[in-house]
Amino acid sequence: MLEKDKLRKADIFSGGIMALFGLWIISQGLKMPMKDSWGGVQNVWFVSPALFPLFVGAMITLLGVLLMRTALKTVGFNGFKRALGWLASPDLIRFLKSPATMRFYAIAGLFTCFVYIQVPRIDFFLCSVLFLFVFITMFYFADDELLKKFFLFYLGINAFFLMFFVFDLQTKLEPVMSQLAGWSAGFGIQTDLEPALAYPVDWITMAFTFVYFIYIGVAIRKTPELRKKFWISLVLSVVPPFLIGTIFKYFLLVPMPAEGLAVWLLDDIWYSYFQSWFS
Amino acid sequence: MLIFERIGSFFGIVFGIAADPVNLAVLFGSVLLGILFGAMPGLTSTLGVALLTALTFGMDTALAMICLLAIYVGGTYGGSYSSILINIPGTAAAAATALDGYPLACKGEGGRAIGLTTTASAIGTVISMLFVVSISPIISSFALQFTSFEFFLLALFGILISGTLTSPDLVIKGWISGFLGLFLACVGRDLLQFYPRFTFGFMELESGIEVVPVLIGAFGIPQIIQVLKDRTKIAEAQKLQRIIPEIGTVIRNIPAIIRSALIGVGIGSVPGIGEDIAGWVSYGTAKNTSKHPETFGKGELKGVLASETANNACVGGAMIPLLNLGIPGSPPAAMLLGALMLHNVTPGPMITFEHPTFILEVAAILLLASCAMWITGMLLAKQVVKVLRIPAQLFMPIIGLLCIIGSYSLGLNIFNLYLMLPVGIICYFLIEMGYPIAPLVIGVILGPMADENLRRALMVSQGSFLPIFQRPVALILFIIIVWTVISQFEFYDRIKKKVVLFILRKRERSTAGSAETNNSGEKTTD
Repeated sequence: MLEKDKLRKADIFSGGIMALFGLWIISQGLKMPMKDSWGGVQNVWFVSPALFPLFVGAMITLLGVLLMRTALKTVGFNGFKRALGWLASPDLIRFLKSPATMRFYAIAGLFTCFVYIQVPRIDFFLCSVLFLFVFITMFYFADDELLKKFFLFYLGINAFFLMFFVFDLQTKLEPVMSQLAGWSAGFGIQTDLEPALAYPVDWITMAFTFVYFIYIGVAIRKTPELRKKFWISLVLSVVPPFLIGTIFKYFLLVPMPAEGLAVWLLDDIWYSYFQSWFS
Repeated sequence: MLIFERIGSFFGIVFGIAADPVNLAVLFGSVLLGILFGAMPGLTSTLGVALLTALTFGMDTALAMICLLAIYVGGTYGGSYSSILINIPGTAAAAATALDGYPLACKGEGGRAIGLTTTASAIGTVISMLFVVSISPIISSFALQFTSFEFFLLALFGILISGTLTSPDLVIKGWISGFLGLFLACVGRDLLQFYPRFTFGFMELESGIEVVPVLIGAFGIPQIIQVLKDRTKIAEAQKLQRIIPEIGTVIRNIPAIIRSALIGVGIGSVPGIGEDIAGWVSYGTAKNTSKHPETFGKGELKGVLASETANNACVGGAMIPLLNLGIPGSPPAAMLLGALMLHNVTPGPMITFEHPTFILEVAAILLLASCAMWITGMLLAKQVVKVLRIPAQLFMPIIGLLCIIGSYSLGLNIFNLYLMLPVGIICYFLIEMGYPIAPLVIGVILGPMADENLRRALMVSQGSFLPIFQRPVALILFIIIVWTVISQFEFYDRIKKKVVLFILRKRERSTAGSAETNNSGEKTTD
């Protein structure tokens, strides 16, 4: 939580935002059927679906205004002017660039990329390994410069993935993959490799994980004290996704959000060797 | 006769649960997991219950309840480890414990303090369990007479009181948080006319916002951001010596333990208020009633016992409104409510008819969980303490992954993830600006109940609010709500002062008047 003085200044803005939000709820509520018929039922105001949202919206608006008033009374008009001035001052830029704020961006960015770009499209096990590897190394190394580098690297990977999915490169890669399958057939390993080649994006994820591994190795080559942390991070990035994922997939029978290369491999192992133990 | 029958069936359930090795394994495993969650700074029992809810989805209801209640009990108790040994409360519930626990550990009495808090926590849980068994039927039968107006007012009261008491800053923020929760509950098709509200054409929002992903996001994501952003450093843990407590000390402190347990049960049964408030109130009471209040804060055993007994007694207390009224007594109880709904158990006055033995089962699990907690605490305390050395930077990302898979697995819906993350980030900002999260969560849970009952009540009364003033319970609830709101404003204090002054002056005048009459009477006789 912020300090009391800063909190009061922030309250003016948060109270304002809440009041506006409450007004928006009311405006949306007013669009709902109040007295007209809906689904063949003639409405009266007290059964209207708008009643509760209007009540909630009115309360949020009222409380938002009260919060603003309380904060303005404490801070004073001059304080409010100073807070507004701060928003246009270089202090704001300094705050936005501070190490703590950078760490916040890093966490929020990591989660956003992982949830919105990777989880729905890339094999859960593989993208989790990459996510954890980046996440743990970023914070466990306790170095803000490295954090920035690793975060930018992860953002780059996700920018690539975004392009990959937006331009549907997966479809365009299919002839290449079938060509690869053809070559593998030439070497007599068709049965093993052919299904695996159906997941190009998972191969790319694995490649990125490996590149990231190399990248960290290069980044910390001059700081030997981070080497132990590096190996711990690697182990903790690989083991938990497979442990958690296996529990959910094979014991709780929860299909993963996206199933690809790793799930194909695990399915093969599970149904060939372990399933009979538990059935 | 009915009482003996009830006691008989209670012990039947206890032995039934204890006789199954799977139940026992889950019980001890969950208690241990809870203790680990509670002990590790940054992880809380609420988060533990939230994450385990996903894992228990496939289990039968009884086993799921064993798992969730055990982690709740263990998590509430586990916070004392880090409070006592490293002066960082593992959970907010154990914040008061650190005041005297750490000085005790510095004096070389950390083991003794942990041993005594383990015993006191177990006693506190057992006492709260007794209240669950004894009070629940009374509240249930009382609640059966509630009509829609009472339920609406009860939900509103729950949100307002939770906002009032959990707000770390201005009370208004607690209320706003509660109403934001109510807004989230409005999303989706309304329950009476199936009109889509705030869905913006998203099919996934038609059935409303799923409670559990919102709860996981609201409790998990802000916790991860806070811990990693602030780079919380953990101090070197103090060493543990003998843990088994001296029976003499326990017996000497029994009155204090019982008092703290009663405070915990009382506070736990108020909707939406968690173990942290119970701990602080109990600590304050112990200090105020002590003959040597100056020793508090310097390693006073009674201070540690007071907060730890109360926060564990709060667990049972929180079960009372949860089971009988469908209103969670604390944030972890809100999670439990979500879990119960997933298992098709709807807590409320009808629970004794729909699931006649359910409340006894919960009480039995609480009893067994407190025993398991005591045994685990005594045997594994020295090993559990080792987890305090694990840096948060290592386990927080894994918790993040658990939040994601947990939110997804309930309903197998990717959209839950899309919802969980923004809710989590918004909750982080709200926390930073001094808004409490518990009322928001309670609002999400109680929203449908408040909405449906308000409109149903008005339908019955044809749009009239008069029944509120005609029905005694509704009137009492209405008065309490109005008082809760008004008492937070300055003008209330001014009016109160004026009224008190007016009464005092009137009394002075009447005493002066009667003295004058007496004097004049005496003079006349003279």
